Amino acid sequence: MPPPPLSSPGGHPSRRHFLGLSAALTGAVALPSVLSGCGDASASSRPLQFWNFYAPAPNEDPATMARAAWMQDTVDLWNAENDQQIELVYAPVLGSEKLATAFSAGEGPDIFLISPGDIARYLNGDVLAELTPHMTQEAVDDFFADNLATRMIGDRVYALPMEIEPLALFYSRPAFEQAGLSEGDLPATWEDLLSVSDRLVAAGQGGLVFPTAQDYYQNFVWYPWMWQGGGEVVVDSGARSAFDSAGAVDALRLWKDGVDLGLTPRVPPASNDIVISFSEGYASIWQSGIWSIQDFERKAPDFDYGVIPLPVPDGGESATVLGGWAFAANALGSNPDEAARFCAWALGSMDDDGIARVANWCIDSKRDISPRRSSLEYGSQAGGYDSEHMRMFRDEIFPTGRGEPRYPPVIYKAVSDAIQSCQLAGGDPEDQAATAAQAIDAYLTTYEGVDLA
Amino acid sequence: MSTPTTSATEPASRPGAPRATDAGPTGGARSARARRERRAAYLFMAPNLIGLTIFVAIPMLLSIVLAFFRVDGFGGYDFVGFANFERMFADPYFLSSLGRTLLYLLVMVPGLFLSGLGLALLVRNKFPLVGLFRTALFAPNVVSLVVVALIWQFLLTDDVGFIARLLDRVGLTAPSWLGDPAFALPTVMVITIWFSMGYYMLIFLAGLQDIPREYYEVASIDGAGPWTTFRNITWPLLKPTSFFILLTSTIAVMTGGLDLLVILTGGGPANSTTLVIYYVYQQAFVYGEFGYAAAIGSFLVVILLAWSALLFALTKGGRFTHAQ
Repeated sequence: MPPPPLSSPGGHPSRRHFLGLSAALTGAVALPSVLSGCGDASASSRPLQFWNFYAPAPNEDPATMARAAWMQDTVDLWNAENDQQIELVYAPVLGSEKLATAFSAGEGPDIFLISPGDIARYLNGDVLAELTPHMTQEAVDDFFADNLATRMIGDRVYALPMEIEPLALFYSRPAFEQAGLSEGDLPATWEDLLSVSDRLVAAGQGGLVFPTAQDYYQNFVWYPWMWQGGGEVVVDSGARSAFDSAGAVDALRLWKDGVDLGLTPRVPPASNDIVISFSEGYASIWQSGIWSIQDFERKAPDFDYGVIPLPVPDGGESATVLGGWAFAANALGSNPDEAARFCAWALGSMDDDGIARVANWCIDSKRDISPRRSSLEYGSQAGGYDSEHMRMFRDEIFPTGRGEPRYPPVIYKAVSDAIQSCQLAGGDPEDQAATAAQAIDAYLTTYEGVDLA
Repeated sequence: MSTPTTSATEPASRPGAPRATDAGPTGGARSARARRERRAAYLFMAPNLIGLTIFVAIPMLLSIVLAFFRVDGFGGYDFVGFANFERMFADPYFLSSLGRTLLYLLVMVPGLFLSGLGLALLVRNKFPLVGLFRTALFAPNVVSLVVVALIWQFLLTDDVGFIARLLDRVGLTAPSWLGDPAFALPTVMVITIWFSMGYYMLIFLAGLQDIPREYYEVASIDGAGPWTTFRNITWPLLKPTSFFILLTSTIAVMTGGLDLLVILTGGGPANSTTLVIYYVYQQAFVYGEFGYAAAIGSFLVVILLAWSALLFALTKGGRFTHAQ
């Protein structure tokens, strides 16, 4: 049967035909593009995806390029020697939304970066591939045990740290000088910290900066203050909370006093940028991590600043927290065995190249403490810790560190509410500690999962 | 396939129209034409309908279904019945965020309404540079909310921010706009109104342009003042527009502004800006509680549907009484 004529008897297409044809064409064009997202490409031979926030480099900043180059070199070397190829996928804000959504949809990446603050959920979800079978015992022992412990269940390793990032106090030497303070005035106790900050502020200098945003990072930064006074969030292998204790109450009060006395700004200045804040005189003392060394190198290489360990309370013990990200492999990915082997090879090889690779990440691409003894030794011999600040972190701050705890969201939230309430909303530290402890205990009665202590 | 009889219920059923059964061959031709036009109409609507179905209707339906499951975030789904809803009403964080959202709603909807209407009345008449004023007032809408949040964050920085320094020059001490629980939510409200009022101004402006000029001319001849003119002409004839704004601004206030909250305050300080929509985001994407988040989301949908139905009923679908 011949197709109906497209034009009217007069030879011109009628309006109706034209509209009908247009609609049909629109539908025909739109439909495949809409439905194309529903397809499922064959996953059998595709490279494993490695979601990270370093490479491919998102911009041309030299530090960013250096980190991207390390990631790319590592993956290129693996790809040259192995059949199972790996592909780097740049994934900003990997720590939360993107990763959570991908895993929820059953589309989690094969390899990804994870922080201890987030790892409990993944361990409890049984989605991390075990790395231990691909490592020698010598390699496992080469990692600093306390730092590695938060990535383990028993003696099984589920993620390998690529760096250790301890926290300390950074201070501005010009601010101290202008306030008539010398190195001898550097705070060693909490009392000193508040009185020195008070003198700085009274002299028209910037104050003492603690994080104030309500998030995981604030808890992470606050934990060492609690530990210094003997406080703990959970004890007895995670069976009960110990948050309602003098250590936690005192730490809550310290941060509360900082704000109440007008020493700690309620919102960190310069959009939370330590370098601008110091350079412009908006802040004089700032609790931050070892990563800030590179920030100063990049943005204000000539700025004169110092680093000291966190002051301790009377009768307390020096402590800091060790942050840092780790490589993990998805147990539900397309090739979990090879993904796990890659993680172990990249960060846990005991050959010279493997040791140098981890060291180079921590001294060339970044400014971090190496998570392995051998790499720290290698980095030290290579001069990576010769500078005043890197030496201070390696010799005095890092040895007092504890691995970042792995608490589930409910515990994180209880602690966060206590900190926020005391620091910014006039809450009473004792009441808030008791409230948080009750919430944590209530949660622990039904909690089933990895050891939280 | 439709028949001439069924097609008779369509256009031909209008008062005064010839009945299809009386039409004979002419009616059949008209019916075939109507069918073809209907087919064309459906084809034109198809891309939108497909898009809406795939990207709105199905996700909405799945979200409601999800609310009845405990989702572990790693592909595990356990049917839990109404447990997520029961948890919702026993969750002090949710209840406090709901209370905060209602307060936010009570301020924001009238705030957006009055600012939009006020600006529209100001720029409705022709005067020099009126186009520039209209553009300037609408301009924030074309900027990403993320950029808006960052700019305001910069302006509102404690002590050294632009606004703090401005106030300092006139001898006033600025509070911590975003760091003090007493000021954070009001600050978010002001920024949101500043950002959104241009859009509502535009809608009101369109409504005002539809009011015939003759009405105002007659009122002027009769000696009516500005308030009498507004009360007796502008306000009644703007009712359909007002209805639309009331409805859409409520929905926007309840479900929008997440990006602003995430960047500007992160729900803090001390949960003071944790509105329900932020709580949903937090539960789903920070804590991985997708089922619980879906339950709260579904609850929001029910509230908004009820509110919309009530508004439709009270205003007779936005026509009110005078237009009937």
